[in-house]
Amino acid sequence: MTRTAPDRPAPDGPAPATSPDADPSLGRRLRETPRPALLWAVVGLLLLAPEVGALLHAGVELLAVPLRLLPVHATGVLGALDRATASVPTLLSRSTVPNGGHWDGQRWVGTFAGLEPKQAWLLRVGLVYAYAFAVLGWLWSGYRRFRRHYRRADWTPRDDALDRLRRHRWGQFGLVVVAAVVVMAVFAPALGPTTVERNVLHPYEHELTYWDADAGQTRTVLVGDANLESQSRNTPENVGPWAYDDFGRFHPFGTTPNGKDLFTFVATGARVSLSVAGTAVVGAALLALALSLLTAYYRGLADLLVVFTSDAVQALPLLVLLILVLTVFQGSRLAEFYDGAVLLVGVFVLAQWPFLWRAIRGPALRVADAGWVDAARAYDQRPRAIMRRHMAPYVVGYLFVYGSMSLGGIVLAVAGLSFLGLGIDAPTPEWGRLIVAGQPYVATRSWHVSLLPGLVITLVVTGFNALGDGVRDAIDPQSAGGDAAEATMAGGGNA
Amino acid sequence: MTRLRYLGQRLLLAIPVVLFGITITFVVVRLGPLDPVTAILGPNAPPEQAARVRRSLGLTQPLWRQYLEYVARLLTFDLPRSWVVSPGTPALELVGLYAPRTIWLGFWSVLVALVVGVPLGFYAGLHPNTGGDYLASVGGIVWRAMPNFWLAIVVVSVLSQSPRLLWGFEWTTWLVHTPKVVTPPDLSVLARPSRLLTAPAETWPRVLAAIKMTAPAAIVLGSSSMGNEIRVARTAVLETVGADYVDAARAKGLPERRVVWKHVFRNALVPLVPIVTGEAFLLLGGSVLVETVFAINGLGQLFFRAAVQADLPLLGALMYVFVLVLVATNLLQDLLYTLVDPRVGFDRRSR
Repeated sequence: MTRTAPDRPAPDGPAPATSPDADPSLGRRLRETPRPALLWAVVGLLLLAPEVGALLHAGVELLAVPLRLLPVHATGVLGALDRATASVPTLLSRSTVPNGGHWDGQRWVGTFAGLEPKQAWLLRVGLVYAYAFAVLGWLWSGYRRFRRHYRRADWTPRDDALDRLRRHRWGQFGLVVVAAVVVMAVFAPALGPTTVERNVLHPYEHELTYWDADAGQTRTVLVGDANLESQSRNTPENVGPWAYDDFGRFHPFGTTPNGKDLFTFVATGARVSLSVAGTAVVGAALLALALSLLTAYYRGLADLLVVFTSDAVQALPLLVLLILVLTVFQGSRLAEFYDGAVLLVGVFVLAQWPFLWRAIRGPALRVADAGWVDAARAYDQRPRAIMRRHMAPYVVGYLFVYGSMSLGGIVLAVAGLSFLGLGIDAPTPEWGRLIVAGQPYVATRSWHVSLLPGLVITLVVTGFNALGDGVRDAIDPQSAGGDAAEATMAGGGNA
Repeated sequence: MTRLRYLGQRLLLAIPVVLFGITITFVVVRLGPLDPVTAILGPNAPPEQAARVRRSLGLTQPLWRQYLEYVARLLTFDLPRSWVVSPGTPALELVGLYAPRTIWLGFWSVLVALVVGVPLGFYAGLHPNTGGDYLASVGGIVWRAMPNFWLAIVVVSVLSQSPRLLWGFEWTTWLVHTPKVVTPPDLSVLARPSRLLTAPAETWPRVLAAIKMTAPAAIVLGSSSMGNEIRVARTAVLETVGADYVDAARAKGLPERRVVWKHVFRNALVPLVPIVTGEAFLLLGGSVLVETVFAINGLGQLFFRAAVQADLPLLGALMYVFVLVLVATNLLQDLLYTLVDPRVGFDRRSR
């Protein structure tokens, strides 16, 4: 990341018809006024430094997936790489700011700087969020610097849209919520007070030390056994939100009915929900974009075909179709990829594109009639180039609006499916499964098990809808929001 | 008659949609990894018996013939028999048995959503950017964002312990005595509607009890449609209030009440049409979850049970019924359009 220029968002929107040689190239502009870019790059490197270890490690893990398919000799190299990257210190990891310690009678042992586990955990969460928002601020400042010093055009329509978004409080609320949840998903392993591996998946393979006040000494117990005595089942053992259990473990959201840490579960669940919904929406959006450009440009038979197909797909009840497909494919090879997420994403993409396509059909047809498209055609540009350069930028904004809204709908649908015991397989953490687990205890002292995940889902879905509203008002201030396309998508088959 | 032609076109277009739904179901059920014979007999059945069942189900025939037969049977409403949930019972009979409770639930949830959502949205649209508007709009969005099943669970828990949580309010004895919160409503009284007139003292309390038992589920099920209606009604009113013909109506001296009722509301209804008919989709999907929580054994629960127990013919038949219902509501939507909006059929052929 020494060269910063290519990472900048490129100015888009309909390209001006002037010849590119009229202005100095980006490289020359960078050489003429290097200070802002250099400053930005230095800050970027500083921000990168604390997370180098984590990034390298993630890179190795990504690399490992295709390498595992190769013959065995690669595994030794992989193991070495894995150890090497794991040893690079990472500021925001649990090992740098540990919160899993115990009381030894006088002080806390094993926690960061001898802090109480609660404070150590709070410190780590604060650091992670401060870091993440610093990165976001850095990206924003990069865009501002680019716009001010290096961009060829003094003004693009997108500037106005961004200015409008900066005055849109509701949209900003959505942006903050979405950013907070995305950070939660990305940093899930560092945010939880404990890890999924240790606390949820294999609790009987890990030990923990705790202070036995009666005996006046520390003892060691299996995590699984400790979980059994911290269950939230409306019994005296119940561990509510913001409390310690008997083993000196801090639970920000309390424990599940199985004595597992709820916050760790919710944070990892954010990862699962967002990756499923995000992949599905991106897939459906790409399909919708390609089809909308093709149908708007060629019309005629292509348009008619897509109208037919989308009508037919839209007439299928989404949640019912999902239940059907997921049951039929239960236990098959296809349902095992990534705990069923691949199958789920596949169905969502196939079922969701018509809604997105319908929603952006209007803008696509309008832009196909625009003068600049005629002009490009007259200049003998190829259809592909016209669609990509002169039509797509206009449509993508709308796609973002409706994509954001249907993302909320998919989050709801995924939770609803796991409420029914379908979709993401246990024990992979998923929000809907927590709600089922807490179902018998809603009006008892173990209320948190069901209520907190439900509130998180509500907040996330509201956040994505608010962000969609904000972006729509920013790119299309004439529209007032609230149409049928939006309504069907935000419902997401209505889970 | 342009409008009749328009409706005729829509009807014709509905046929391939139904066929598509049938085909998708066939493909998923028949070409998926689930073997119908194993689903009926279990994995350890003796091979001779399996072969016999396979023959008797017609699975030995070529796939295209199976498909044609399947389509023909569905189209003539000769729906297949259930295998597992209620062995041997024709699917149509099961639908007749389970549908009334779902229809009852759906009716009330549409009504609740309409009666609450549309006036709130109209109010918000007529008083934009006031405290009331913000309350209604944000309330609608949050209400829509809540997971249905979660809301259902919360409502059930609160109502089951209402005296403790609601300051002494007893839900079970309120108005009429209904001992349980989680139970299907008793609709037997509606089987003979004439008795509602001949023996009102005896029958009406039972109708009231049925309504009361459905009300929580209906409110939950209608939650997201209600949020949608608030939003769409607000936008629609905002857009019509600023229209030229409203200015013209005011300029010619019409009283404000008449302007609002005749010119604003009538036109604001148009974008609400697809929202109201779109509720059919929300209700079908949501009913699976909400009926599960409230133990209302309607179509949604029947579908879920058929899915869990791998009752393939019943699944296919129910899917077909659902698609038919949805296609019918789409046609109803077109009909409503032509009634509410006289311009339809003249300038916009398709939405």
